[in-house]
Amino acid sequence: MLRLEDVTVRFGGLVALKDVSFAMGAGEILGLVGPNGAGKTTLFNTISGLVRPRSGNILFEEREIGGMALHARARLGLGRTFQIPQPMHHLTVRENLTVAQVFGAGKSDPARIDEILQVMELAEHAERDAATELALQELKRLEIAKALATNPRLLLLDEVLAGLESQAKRRFIAKLRELHQRYGLTIVIVEHDIETISTLCSRAVVLNFGQVIADGAPDDVFRNPAVVESYTGTADA
Amino acid sequence: MVVKNLPGILLALAACLIPLVYGGNGYIMGLMVSGLIVAGVALAWALLGNLGGMVSFGHAAFFGVGAYASALLSAKAGLPVPLSLLAGGAVAALSSLAMLPALRLSGPYFALAILAYAHIFKILATELSWLTGGSAGFARFPVLPTIAGIDFSSRIGSYWLLVVMVGLCLLAYRAVKASHVGTALRAMAESEDATRVVGVNATLLKAWMLLLSAFITGLFGAMNAHIINFLEPDYAFSGTWSVLPIIAAIFGGYRTILGPVAGAVAIYLFDQLVAKAILPVGHQIILGVLLAGMILIAPNGLFGLFGKKKTGAAHAAA
Repeated sequence: MLRLEDVTVRFGGLVALKDVSFAMGAGEILGLVGPNGAGKTTLFNTISGLVRPRSGNILFEEREIGGMALHARARLGLGRTFQIPQPMHHLTVRENLTVAQVFGAGKSDPARIDEILQVMELAEHAERDAATELALQELKRLEIAKALATNPRLLLLDEVLAGLESQAKRRFIAKLRELHQRYGLTIVIVEHDIETISTLCSRAVVLNFGQVIADGAPDDVFRNPAVVESYTGTADA
Repeated sequence: MVVKNLPGILLALAACLIPLVYGGNGYIMGLMVSGLIVAGVALAWALLGNLGGMVSFGHAAFFGVGAYASALLSAKAGLPVPLSLLAGGAVAALSSLAMLPALRLSGPYFALAILAYAHIFKILATELSWLTGGSAGFARFPVLPTIAGIDFSSRIGSYWLLVVMVGLCLLAYRAVKASHVGTALRAMAESEDATRVVGVNATLLKAWMLLLSAFITGLFGAMNAHIINFLEPDYAFSGTWSVLPIIAAIFGGYRTILGPVAGAVAIYLFDQLVAKAILPVGHQIILGVLLAGMILIAPNGLFGLFGKKKTGAAHAAA
């Protein structure tokens, strides 16, 4: 589904990602973890097209997309959310989804919009102004709903669980599982909470200083001394 | 429904009544014709600003290109005037393709780029004197024709032609605004990344708005050329064709569809009938004061006053 080969990103003299390589198959849920500043969001921006890599290849369903425009990647089936929700201003929740569907999926299907609104528990907010009349958690659900409206096969979720208390987090994890099943999605999720990654993901990739330092089953990865050291500064923690 | 469309109905009614009341007054009808020319350009400018999110100081370029293209095609290639008018709009739209690289710019940078671009066309029209007559001007081209017994070169005929063309452009603007493209454009102004990430090709949509805006401006430039039947670069590419539509659109309310049209006619008539009477020389000062006052008191313009106070969903639905 997705393969990264030696992807390097520089911002001036700063190397944000260095030779990042990993691959994931269809249907996987992969957790992308790492300390603050490790390069997780930069990696999402690079895969989705907001940032161009200096070198390396990004293959989506065996197709090189590294030089492709942001909108073109969305139309290929690559959906993403932002860590800080970015609703489309001056539009209602329903209009946000309609624009995403018409331009991302290339069709207008109001019934599917209604379904997504129901699934994401946004139906009662459908006619509200997305940018000014939603609470943070509703905005986060809208981020996912917009991505779903583009009919993605790969979904990149950037800290969608951040700020949730434990019960709400459990409900949200169940929701993500439901989406994974219902829409046959492949998911990459950036998340700081180790328990969430262990519960939700079949695999975790750990970034530190822009490099992959571990890749494997979550429980194994979180016992890896290099990973422990990256979080705590000592391998014995 | 009637109340919602009341401003439009009143404008249409006024447009029908004016020839009945002032049909015999050549001066007033002449002012109305000029006001409607400005209205067409103001509408095109507002379309680019409101839907495309781009502020242009260079619409004089499209106006002048449309005027010269139509005049030259009708005079030198023998194209019938109705077709040359459309060709004027098309050539203006084509000329806007040269502006496409500037679509990557935003805010004042785009405005400056298009201002420079307008100046290039003025220089071209002056220097290509073998084709355009240069600064001596170009006069030998046909006037608007008589079709089905209506003499469009007369003041009344020109007036009706312009009323119909402004009406058609209003309908086109409304159709674009109500479409999915219009919805995406509305969102793009303040959340471009959020629209691009769901598959909206922001640059392409902006390019379409630039083309449409240039076409409408060129069309009105062409009609104006055949109405006054004389062209010179200083007139056809005058900064007035860039500035007056902006003042008109902002005065009327550039975020509304009817505002630029009503604002253009109101501003033009006020300038010619009132401001000139008060201050025969430098009457534009009064326009400036009027616009500054309007921005301070009603930043959404005249038609913005008619709209309900927009918050939340109301704003979203506007």
